[in-house]
Amino acid sequence: MSAITVTAGPPRRGSGISRYFGFWPVVTAIVLVLIVGLLLVPVGNIVGVSLSAGAKTGSIFENYVNFFSERFYYQTLLNSFWVSIWAMIFAVCLGVPAAYFVNRYDIWGRGFVRAAVVLTFVSPPFIGSYSWVVLFGRSGVLTQLFNAIGVPLPSIYGAPGIIFVFTLQFFPFVFLLVSSGLKSIDQSVEDAARNLGSGEFRTFRTAIAPLLVPSITTGALLVFVASFTDLGTPIILGERFRVLPVLIYGEFVNEFGGRPVLASALSVLLLLVTTGALLLQRWLSARFSYATAAIRPLQVQEQPLGKRIAATAFVFLLIGFALLPLVNIVVSSFLKSNGPVLVASFTLDNYARIMDRITLPLWNTLFYTTVATLLCAVVGTAVAYIIVRRPGPVSSVLDTVVMFSYAVPGIVLGVGLVVTYHEPPFALTGTATILILAYFIRRLPFSVRSSVSMLQQVSRDTEDASINLGAGPGRTFVKITVPLLATAILSGALLTWSNTIRELSATLILQSGTTATVAIEIFNEVVNGNFGVASALGTVLILLTFLPLVVLFTLLGKKDEALV
Amino acid sequence: MLDRPGIQMASTSVRIDTVTKRYGDSVAVDGVSLDIAQGEFFTLLGSSGCGKTTLLRIIAGFLKQTSGRILFGDTCIDDLAPQHRNTGMVFQSYAIFPHLSVVDNIAYGLRARGLKAAEVKQKVDTYLALTRLSHLGHRKPRELSGGQQQRVVLARAMVIEPDVLLMDEPLSNLDTEMRMHLRTEIRALQRKIGVTTIYVTHDQEEALLMSDRIAVMRGGRLEQVASPHDIYNKPSTRFVASFIGENNFLPAVHRGHAEPGHVRIELPGGQFTAKLRGDMPGGAMDAAFRPQDIELRPLDGEGDGLVGTLTDIQFLGGTVRYAIDLGGGHLVQVAGSSRTGVALPEIGTRHRLGVSPVAIALFAPEAA
Repeated sequence: MSAITVTAGPPRRGSGISRYFGFWPVVTAIVLVLIVGLLLVPVGNIVGVSLSAGAKTGSIFENYVNFFSERFYYQTLLNSFWVSIWAMIFAVCLGVPAAYFVNRYDIWGRGFVRAAVVLTFVSPPFIGSYSWVVLFGRSGVLTQLFNAIGVPLPSIYGAPGIIFVFTLQFFPFVFLLVSSGLKSIDQSVEDAARNLGSGEFRTFRTAIAPLLVPSITTGALLVFVASFTDLGTPIILGERFRVLPVLIYGEFVNEFGGRPVLASALSVLLLLVTTGALLLQRWLSARFSYATAAIRPLQVQEQPLGKRIAATAFVFLLIGFALLPLVNIVVSSFLKSNGPVLVASFTLDNYARIMDRITLPLWNTLFYTTVATLLCAVVGTAVAYIIVRRPGPVSSVLDTVVMFSYAVPGIVLGVGLVVTYHEPPFALTGTATILILAYFIRRLPFSVRSSVSMLQQVSRDTEDASINLGAGPGRTFVKITVPLLATAILSGALLTWSNTIRELSATLILQSGTTATVAIEIFNEVVNGNFGVASALGTVLILLTFLPLVVLFTLLGKKDEALV
Repeated sequence: MLDRPGIQMASTSVRIDTVTKRYGDSVAVDGVSLDIAQGEFFTLLGSSGCGKTTLLRIIAGFLKQTSGRILFGDTCIDDLAPQHRNTGMVFQSYAIFPHLSVVDNIAYGLRARGLKAAEVKQKVDTYLALTRLSHLGHRKPRELSGGQQQRVVLARAMVIEPDVLLMDEPLSNLDTEMRMHLRTEIRALQRKIGVTTIYVTHDQEEALLMSDRIAVMRGGRLEQVASPHDIYNKPSTRFVASFIGENNFLPAVHRGHAEPGHVRIELPGGQFTAKLRGDMPGGAMDAAFRPQDIELRPLDGEGDGLVGTLTDIQFLGGTVRYAIDLGGGHLVQVAGSSRTGVALPEIGTRHRLGVSPVAIALFAPEAA
């Protein structure tokens, strides 16, 4: 035992602030400040402003009393429920069979259908709306065509048009969730039911559908919430039929400069509905969840020719309608236009016209989206780590608040941020900063969820090994955790990007002329009736939305279920 | 070892002083005290939930004990963060860094300590050679077999020259052949560099084969701490006697003293003389004797012995196992060897079982 001894020396002790404060407590504090400041304080302020004493009665509930006593106001709430519930019902009726046929039947073009659903899903809703106006509006291409042959088409304006567009825009929620639900059911469940003497429909009704209840209810409620909070479509199609978000936007614009008291009260109502819907969704999913693991998921079944043709026809008709507005945008972006009337001759004029005009909004859009996405990736990964690896009261608060940010509609967040940050020292209204922060807090759940599910699969031992070898918590996070989560962080970031770049509701509230984004430009062009320019801008925006998803699906091998 | 300069470590002794770990009402580690010598290969042995891994993680600093102290040498390490304890840990799941090459895995702890690149390279090369991984230095972990990955994490834990090497069931994810091979390899490596090692396992064969000393744990407490030989041959509790190796237990009644240091006991089916080890448990007792310590004798022979009927024979090649029914629901397992040219006894025949007085151990029965 007389060998020469070599020692590596004791590990270095922490330096800088980590000598006095742990790495994770400091990070947790920063994250909490961000989330409280950008989400909880704004929401709290809306509630506070909405309860400010009214001039007439001096009651703090005066704004709410006004709302429910004047038909002009409360009708919008009823209208919102009306269109959202119908859109939800139609989306389920179309989405469930479509998902079943695509996943179970050997229909033709299944890959194409899946891609088309994704494309529909990520395209900005307001682009779809004005595209329908171009086709079926008063001077729409098809309206005039059918009028010429003496067949009047139903109006695209008002409640039916909104329901129609919402259904086609949001049925992918149901389609994607039911598809993934079907994949989690084992083939043996169906085989057993068939073996015991059930026919196909009876098997679906008694054995398969009950297992799909969480997927269907989640999809349905997501359709409901998306429809209830959408601002662009009802502005474009609603005309005299006004829904709650349109009223909020109108009141906010009216009250601008003062305190948006009524807009705040309306926002609180909107928030109550969405929060209620998401709580209901969580309860339903938990209540009807049967944890099944599919060793061999439900297989595609060969069908007799007639059934195969019928199912294919159904799916393609649905997809055709859903894709029509997108095809229309791309095609009409290359057509000459005279205001809202498009002429059937090819031109690049629209693109030439947007070239000079688009520079600033395009630059704004790319800059805000990129910064917000990076913020989401960094903060989201840290939040995911705290939630998964540092369980405790703070961690469950974070988890709940991040879930809650799903429930805060863009327009509500917009109003809340304006109310909170319109005065010095934080006079941020109309600045790029406020838009970036709004995008960041709205899309944070994407990054958090993506990293959480990956982190739950990574053994804690790997990080413990790093600590054990002398690397502190910060070094371990950077050198070990982040590389292990790389694909999850990247796919979360791509989803964030794709969802942020088309944001409209919060942007409408928060932008000023110089901070306008591409989505705002399109919206303005549509409102002004310049459909040619709007189509060219819309095509650009669709490309920007879809490109990251192509990367997500091809390079990262993600499934389309990752979207919901 | 003089031919291998530069790899003898200055490791430390470990003192665990009445360490307790509670989770709410349940106690995972219950007042454990141990002294582990410098350079010793010390094993914590027990079935899952006995507290052995909890104790190991407390030593590593991943868990904080509820009470008690841990000392490395003369230094109390209770307030030291895990990254500052200078222990090298090998995990059951390997915990290899999947995104780093073999070299970068091994260099990880050295770089965290801020060593210069040249020094890192020299040390990494030494341990690559020691673990016979030199040719794989630039591979990624996914290109390695399970056994190779385990050698990487072993090198990674040893290269930092830890005060104590901690191993948490490092071989349980490997196939039998690789496990056998690595047992001897780990032990040889540990001897060569002389690092104090605390090894956790549920595999008694592994514990007996590798350890200088074994602590058998149960329900958070130490049942017995002794050398492998003494753990097997002089179990101090009935639990250790049943947990380590195989044992027959029969209820015994004290029938007075025989020659000095011996007692007469009555078992179902006959009387025995047993050598006293330590204190005689009072009242009801269990007598324990191992299958290979029993001799099957013809019934007409003289002397002590239980009489029973042969009910089953398991022929395993070199060894033969007999089940003897003593009546009253008492079965005894006997291990014999098969010899060429000697016929096996017939099932249903009656035999006398001979056991040497030194092979019988007496215990207080387990509380139900």
